[in-house]
Amino acid sequence: MTRAVDAPSSLDSALAHKSVNRINPLKTVELLQCKTRRRQFKHETRDISGNTDIDRETQRKSELTFFSIVVRSQLPDYCYVCRRHHDDFKVGNEALRLIYTTTPVQIKNVGASGPEKYTEEFIKKQIEEFNLGKRHLANMMGEDPETFTQEDIDRAVAYLFPSGLFDKQARPMMKHPTEIFPEQRKIQWGEDGRPFHFLFYTGKQSYYSLMHETYEKLLNVQKYQDQLAAQDHLPQKEKKNLAGSRWLTKIELEEMLLEKLSDDDYSRFIQLLEKLMALTCVDMEEEHIQKFSKEVPVQLKKVVIEPLKYDERGVAFSTGEGTRKTAKATVVVYDNGTGKITVNGIDILHYFPVLQDREQLLFPFQFLDRVGKHDMVCTVSGGGRSAQAGAIRLASAKALRSFVTEKEVEFMRQAGLLTVDPRVKERKKPGQEGARRKFTWKKR
Amino acid sequence: MTGPKPLLCPYSHSSASLLRRCCRAEDAGHQSGRVGGSEHRQDGGASPLPPPPGGRIPAQAELTALLSPLALCRLTQVRWSRYNPSFVEPEVNKELYRKPWDELTEEEKEKLELKAVQPIKAAPPAVSTSVFSDPLISKFTNMMMKDGNKVLARSLMAQTLEAIKRKQLEKYHKAPEDKKETIECNPYVIFHQALKNCQPIIGLSSITKGGKTYQVPVPLKDNRKRFLAMKWLITECRENKNRRMLMPEKLSQELLQAFNNEGPIIKKKHVLHKMAEANRAYAHFRWW
Repeated sequence: MTRAVDAPSSLDSALAHKSVNRINPLKTVELLQCKTRRRQFKHETRDISGNTDIDRETQRKSELTFFSIVVRSQLPDYCYVCRRHHDDFKVGNEALRLIYTTTPVQIKNVGASGPEKYTEEFIKKQIEEFNLGKRHLANMMGEDPETFTQEDIDRAVAYLFPSGLFDKQARPMMKHPTEIFPEQRKIQWGEDGRPFHFLFYTGKQSYYSLMHETYEKLLNVQKYQDQLAAQDHLPQKEKKNLAGSRWLTKIELEEMLLEKLSDDDYSRFIQLLEKLMALTCVDMEEEHIQKFSKEVPVQLKKVVIEPLKYDERGVAFSTGEGTRKTAKATVVVYDNGTGKITVNGIDILHYFPVLQDREQLLFPFQFLDRVGKHDMVCTVSGGGRSAQAGAIRLASAKALRSFVTEKEVEFMRQAGLLTVDPRVKERKKPGQEGARRKFTWKKR
Repeated sequence: MTGPKPLLCPYSHSSASLLRRCCRAEDAGHQSGRVGGSEHRQDGGASPLPPPPGGRIPAQAELTALLSPLALCRLTQVRWSRYNPSFVEPEVNKELYRKPWDELTEEEKEKLELKAVQPIKAAPPAVSTSVFSDPLISKFTNMMMKDGNKVLARSLMAQTLEAIKRKQLEKYHKAPEDKKETIECNPYVIFHQALKNCQPIIGLSSITKGGKTYQVPVPLKDNRKRFLAMKWLITECRENKNRRMLMPEKLSQELLQAFNNEGPIIKKKHVLHKMAEANRAYAHFRWW
């Protein structure tokens, strides 16, 4: 019986004993187990015939466990893992010495599975339960189950389960399952494991297929345009009003495609759409583009302007409210006035000694050229001197809307008089001296 | 969405000026052109941006700038603001709103239509439509302010302007009839002209190449010029004066001198220009 001897390798230097059998670790394996079963050792052997095929079963088993390369030696059987001597991890008369170990992997490596997937039946069941629960709730509250709306449900739940938690999302809620369970994609591959879509392995199949589609349309439009230009039938491009529409935001696009996009991807897509829009004959692809644009309502239409009211003297007046930082102001603006302004019962010259604040109070009137024509009575509380002035300014601008044409209201809005200033004092952060200022840097 | 909204700050190099060399001092002033506009509130930088999430940029020039590869550079969020990024700066000037519809150009009409759908930020407390509010003066007042004492800064500014007016009036009344028209009495005009005279056209920038740091002449942007002029003025007034002299007096003195192209600040500007001229050889080190 001859034993094949390998070429000298670095293993040799690791081995103290002369009679060691040099092993090539990539050959046949044999599973050995130490007594405490904490580890299983894989040791390769060579049988007489020199057959070096790995047994399929041992291979499979070895995939489930880590392996260590051990070497036969005639040293005492010290297990480097359990840090003691074993008597049962001898193979025959020889002890085995650990020289290399891989990290243990108990289960086969499964790829990251992502968020929990809901099956269709699960969602259907949830919807049934929700509808049933809705009817029960209506009964409990003594209302008609047929006409029980979502607002009624919210009110009922708030009544039955009062919660003092600040976060609205953390309070008990009962909503339709489509609002709670996010929309997910079905499994994208068949039983054989082959994906349905040809771009599946890009990771963002919907996005790339959309880009391909849009680009194809672009090329078609360009071809058509070139054909028309060759025959000199090119129509004039009518300038479309771009102000009334906008593209989908990144979040909306993500919801549409059910895929995560990066900012770069999104900007590339928008650029492609803009390129398409710039062509003359783009009308043939109008419907495709419509899917990605949204109407933008005119800003002015969002707020309702109240009509003028009349007091006992027959003088027209209107009220307005404004805030700035922590200051709150309510203002009554009277018509046919002399420009007298009273704040908390005190004349503005005494209440606001600083010129800047008085300028701010007069800003809306000066903008509309109505400086001496109105009287104003204000009540203000909270904040500091500048914040109170800003609050009164906003309140008076809002009140003046009722006296003035729609066009002038739009001008006021564009001058920034009708927007609530959202700036507040920034909080101090731990580890810093103030909101932005850091502590003095010391080298030691 | 509550909470601060992140502001995107692109790299400060504009694609168009990347290939420009540092020209002579005379036409260096025209080089701070912007490529790719944006209605967003940005720092003084001029890079093209990808389109804003909710709005459209109609001008064709901006579109081509957007499609350039530089537009797809990664943006780093540097400053954030309580406003949503789609908010636009307010336009306070009354005259622009006085124009009748017919007199507006196509571009202005388009701009107005676009503005109708965009949300606008609130006007800041220092700004108003009165004839006395001037953006340059406000900027200068803010730079003069210490520890947030706006009241004091503003009163100093008012006293300075008053002092200028008094000095000029004195000169006016003493002057002979033919010279009276040449004397400028409006303190705002004097202030603007003095600041303009103090602005350097070309500046120096430290560039390290091969271990050594060179002072390379570089064309300055408008904002930078204004800032340097104001900064020099303020430091000059704070440092080089007698103990007893007050700020308004000293400032008015400096402003009148600068108006006549004399004085220490003009000298400083000339020194800077001379240094830039001396270091002309290193101009090619600039890559923007």
